[in-house]
Amino acid sequence: MKPSGGPPTNRIITANWGNPDVLPIDGYRGAGGYEGLRAALGTSSAEVIETVKASGLRGRGGAGFPTGVKWSFVPQDTGKPTYAVANFDESEPGTFNNRELVEREPHQFLEGLAIAAYGVASHEAYIYCRGEFLHQGRVLERAIAEAYDQGVFGPSVLDSGWALDVVLHRGAGAYICGEETALLSSLEGYRGQPRLRPPFPAVEGLFGCPTLINNVETLCNLPHILRNGPEWFAGIGREKSPGTKIFSVSGKVERPGNYEVPLGTPLRVLLEEHAGGVLDGRRLKAWTPGGSSTPFLTDEHLDLPLDFESIAEAGSLLGTGAIIVLDETDCIVEATRRLLAFYAHESCGKCTPCREGTWWVERVLARIEAGYGRPEDLPLLDDLGQNILFRAFCALADGAVSPIQSSLRFFRDEYGQHVEGHRCPFTGRGPGMATHGEPVTESDLSEVAG
Amino acid sequence: MTPQGTVTLTIDGKEVAVPGGTLIIRAAERLGIEIPRFCDHPFLEPVGACRQCYVEVEGQRKLFTSCTTAVAPDMVVRTQYTSDVVRDAQEANLEFLLLNHPLDCPVCDRGGECPLQDQALAFGPGESRYTEPKRVYAKPIPLSPLVKLDRERCVLCARCTRFCDEISGDRFIELFARGAGERVSISGGEDFRSPFSGNTVQICPVGALTSSTYRFVARPFDLSSADSVCGHCSAGCNVKVDVRGGEIVRVLARDNLEVNDAWLCDKGRYAFRHPDLPSRVTTPLIRDRGLEPASFGEVLGTIATWCRDARVAFLAGGRLADEDAYALSKLARTVVGTNDLDHRRAFLGGKAEELAAAAPLATTYRDVERAKVILVAGLDAEQEVPILHLRIRKAARRGARVFVIHPRTTRLHDVAEHALCRPEHQTYVLEQIHDADGDGDGFVDRVAAALRGAGEDGVVLAGERLAEHPLAADVALSVAQRYGARFGYVTRRANDRGALRAGVHPALLPGGRRVDDADRRAEVESVWGSLTAAERGRSGREILEACAAGEIDLLFLAGVDPLRDLPDAGLVRRALGNVRFKVVQGLELGGLEPYADAFLPAAAWAEREGTVTDWEGRPQEIRPVRSAAGVSRPDWEIFAVLAAAMGGDLGFETIEELRAEAGRLLEPRHASVRTDAWTGTGRPQLLGDLTLFTYPLLVDEGRLSDGADDLKAALAEEPFVEVHPEDAEKRGVLDGGRVRVRTDLGQAEVPVRVTPDVAPGSVFVPFNQRDLAANTLLARGFVEPATIEPVPEPAEAGAAASEGAA
Repeated sequence: MKPSGGPPTNRIITANWGNPDVLPIDGYRGAGGYEGLRAALGTSSAEVIETVKASGLRGRGGAGFPTGVKWSFVPQDTGKPTYAVANFDESEPGTFNNRELVEREPHQFLEGLAIAAYGVASHEAYIYCRGEFLHQGRVLERAIAEAYDQGVFGPSVLDSGWALDVVLHRGAGAYICGEETALLSSLEGYRGQPRLRPPFPAVEGLFGCPTLINNVETLCNLPHILRNGPEWFAGIGREKSPGTKIFSVSGKVERPGNYEVPLGTPLRVLLEEHAGGVLDGRRLKAWTPGGSSTPFLTDEHLDLPLDFESIAEAGSLLGTGAIIVLDETDCIVEATRRLLAFYAHESCGKCTPCREGTWWVERVLARIEAGYGRPEDLPLLDDLGQNILFRAFCALADGAVSPIQSSLRFFRDEYGQHVEGHRCPFTGRGPGMATHGEPVTESDLSEVAG
Repeated sequence: MTPQGTVTLTIDGKEVAVPGGTLIIRAAERLGIEIPRFCDHPFLEPVGACRQCYVEVEGQRKLFTSCTTAVAPDMVVRTQYTSDVVRDAQEANLEFLLLNHPLDCPVCDRGGECPLQDQALAFGPGESRYTEPKRVYAKPIPLSPLVKLDRERCVLCARCTRFCDEISGDRFIELFARGAGERVSISGGEDFRSPFSGNTVQICPVGALTSSTYRFVARPFDLSSADSVCGHCSAGCNVKVDVRGGEIVRVLARDNLEVNDAWLCDKGRYAFRHPDLPSRVTTPLIRDRGLEPASFGEVLGTIATWCRDARVAFLAGGRLADEDAYALSKLARTVVGTNDLDHRRAFLGGKAEELAAAAPLATTYRDVERAKVILVAGLDAEQEVPILHLRIRKAARRGARVFVIHPRTTRLHDVAEHALCRPEHQTYVLEQIHDADGDGDGFVDRVAAALRGAGEDGVVLAGERLAEHPLAADVALSVAQRYGARFGYVTRRANDRGALRAGVHPALLPGGRRVDDADRRAEVESVWGSLTAAERGRSGREILEACAAGEIDLLFLAGVDPLRDLPDAGLVRRALGNVRFKVVQGLELGGLEPYADAFLPAAAWAEREGTVTDWEGRPQEIRPVRSAAGVSRPDWEIFAVLAAAMGGDLGFETIEELRAEAGRLLEPRHASVRTDAWTGTGRPQLLGDLTLFTYPLLVDEGRLSDGADDLKAALAEEPFVEVHPEDAEKRGVLDGGRVRVRTDLGQAEVPVRVTPDVAPGSVFVPFNQRDLAANTLLARGFVEPATIEPVPEPAEAGAAASEGAA
């Protein structure tokens, strides 16, 4: 496969993606690897935090919280150990940059993790690796072993006298474990379900101890910030959204893949210059800026700069930078139903609105798509969205509401066509008129659990 | 986490001041504002799962779950009563909860007392907007013979799983799978074998968990109920007894923060059929050719005749209420003129017992809960006083250090440090703790240092079995006194403490006054009139020995079945065989039928008034939920009438009169009990190569558990003997095989469990188990020298043979 990553200009964390030599530790170190960590070790933990704050780096896991500020929330001198945890449970539909970051340059990530651990004065770091990432887990195992062999990890990191152990933990395949408190529960050996906050993980996280949790892409930026200085980083991208971002572009485009561009790059540039435009030259219908949990935008938003503020202003979220592209031949009802099927499947079950709400919405959407929609279904979907949003235990359910509300906002007419015509205008699917396979009957929709 | 001080906030326009850290839902309760909830339970950690308890907090964009949000100063909260947004949110949530909930209220056990039903009625729309098919599960799923699960009704509030995790600490059930498929389940092939399982049924906010004993039995409005106290052990759990058509059909825990919180063990909950069994005798009987029905007057007159110039002794069980015990004590001493009466089985608690008799509530559940250090000796709390076990666990959750001295690992294993030692070594270990300087790092020094550090926040709990050794309870008391800790002498049976208080005891008059102490005796005589017998009488065991030796003419058995309850079945048979008159007073005859010369039918707890005293010394009222069966009467009334038949007068005709009189003698006394005279026991003597010890497990063949078949199916153990691996290896005994246990008195063939959870040198056999009457092996008490040897294979299949030698 042709290395993706976009044109080489302005690439920071994907700069080496064309270079297979950086996979082993020697090649990585030959290319200047672990010098950022060495630079960090030459200063105090507090100074590292200041550097990261000054860089303006914001978390790449979805929320966009300033990384250095997050680090400063981790209390010191509590008498308890402090843990650093890398969230490598990348499971958001449409998001696949962490995976490639680890596959192509695992040591860049490990170096970032070590810097973060040093920043919060932790001696024990955990990597929570998504269960399905078998290959990536093996890559990490090998890389961690290499790092120990070369004294990068272990009792005296790069001969600094500072000890760091790194433990790889594989999840069992649950989207919810990307939520940081559920991740901690799972890491402790419990069911992956979110916990109450407060106490916040920074104060009482893993095993009740102060814990820092960062996303893989966030961590990958750290070696470069430590090597080149915060001013350099702050000068890239936008003032409030500095640096670059890897956008995972998928769906109806000519060249799906990961593209690293400065934050603030308009979608049109990303789509046309990097991803080759909409597949077969068709018209862009809808897109998500940050994965399935972020509200759809449309072709009206083609010139929107891709940064935290601009996307929020347009009514969506930058999220993980996962751009899922739908073209004019895609049915929005079916697309939304598929996303809801994902959330209903991944809802952890802990709280009522998420568990029951996503289940209900998916069934209503399936019914509409199959041609059995009713006029009252549209206000019902409006209601259900409202009744789920901000009512559930964690943000998973809020993410599930995004496609419901945004698709109704921009494509309400299309829902109406489904209901009035008693069939899907795209597939022709409807009572007695399946285009794929057998005709659909209402009883086909009656699956039962248990 | 908990801010100090008081916080003032406003809920629905009313101001309330609560301690910092209080949850909004609790603060609202103080104002009488009930916020609907399903997952919230005051004794469980907040979880925020059901999302029903939303409130609006002024200045906040999102709604808050009041069960997880702590109050803040000047917070302005609006509940469903003053906020449309909150009301809408709660209605919406209720709609979600009802999506997959079956409409089977008319056949659901919970119907009529179901929070979900109540709230659907109060808030829910009449019709659902949900038209898709509901989730379907196979049902009911038996989690155990006692508890059945209906997954369709379950609202996944996790109260049951959290109870098992946080309260009972035995995680038999857990949530499995996720999303709409999430469900409560058990591990494959395992039963929900918790002795606390019934609590999950009671706290289930819907009809998802049901008790097999109550399924489809009654409607709440069919029931008449009375508040009572459980009669199965000394825990004193507050219960509500439900009767339908005169038959007891259900027992529930009542909340009492001083005693049982909101909990009840499964024996207390499910062993309620005993008073309704066909074996119940509700009319007086007198032996003519056989045992023939007769009137109370006839039978009591005859007994009075027998008593004339006879040597009479009384044995009582733990079933007697406080009033009964008092009447019995007075009858024996003032009318019959004997001190030969006892309620104890084998344990002579010495000074510790005297202290317990004199000073009630010296150590309470609250003290245990708040303790920083708890030393438990000679007590398997989970099996013997289960609710005390939960309290110790609660203390441990709050950070208390717990130490256990016992010959067998107890279910405190995950929160306590155990010193496993042979039964006769327990005294020695306690003595070492007493003498320790606390500087070393062994168990003894750790306990000593911890107790010293805790001072008044330390609690020493001595189980009555410790008193198997004549000095052990006193040594435990000395340990408490030396370190300034509180001391609890924990008797097992329901009203042992009440009997002790009232003086159903050869040496102690009411209030723990020594009969051989003239001053104390005079205090009693000022109420009772002069007492002829001034010397201590015979203990329970001595009474039996005297009976066997022909030195007693009439043995009065009140609420005790010595064939089942006492060690040394052989001695009991010899005693019953050699005493001329045997009078039995109780609910049934049981194994005493061939021996009894007269029977006096007593009313069950559910049929009478009274008070009973728990292990703390706390008297609590029992109330009748139905009239007494047949002509049965409360024990104290029978004693009073018998006194009259004998020409005496106990001086009270009503329970109020009795209580007024007893109150004069049972004021808490300052007992100057010092154990300074104790001079140490020295290195313990080993009883023998191996020491057999036994105690009743929670669910056994005790009389009061008769008829509780589901309970026994769920929790009763097959016969077994436990042997330590070292002892097993020396004797070629293999785990799962059979061994022959031999004592001076008898032998039994029993399947063996080889386990490090029993002290080396000790052999454990549960008392009173199905197919194994351990008392046929016991001569001295509940501890006996024994030998074991493997029984060669193939052993005969079937029940273990048990051959008593006597």
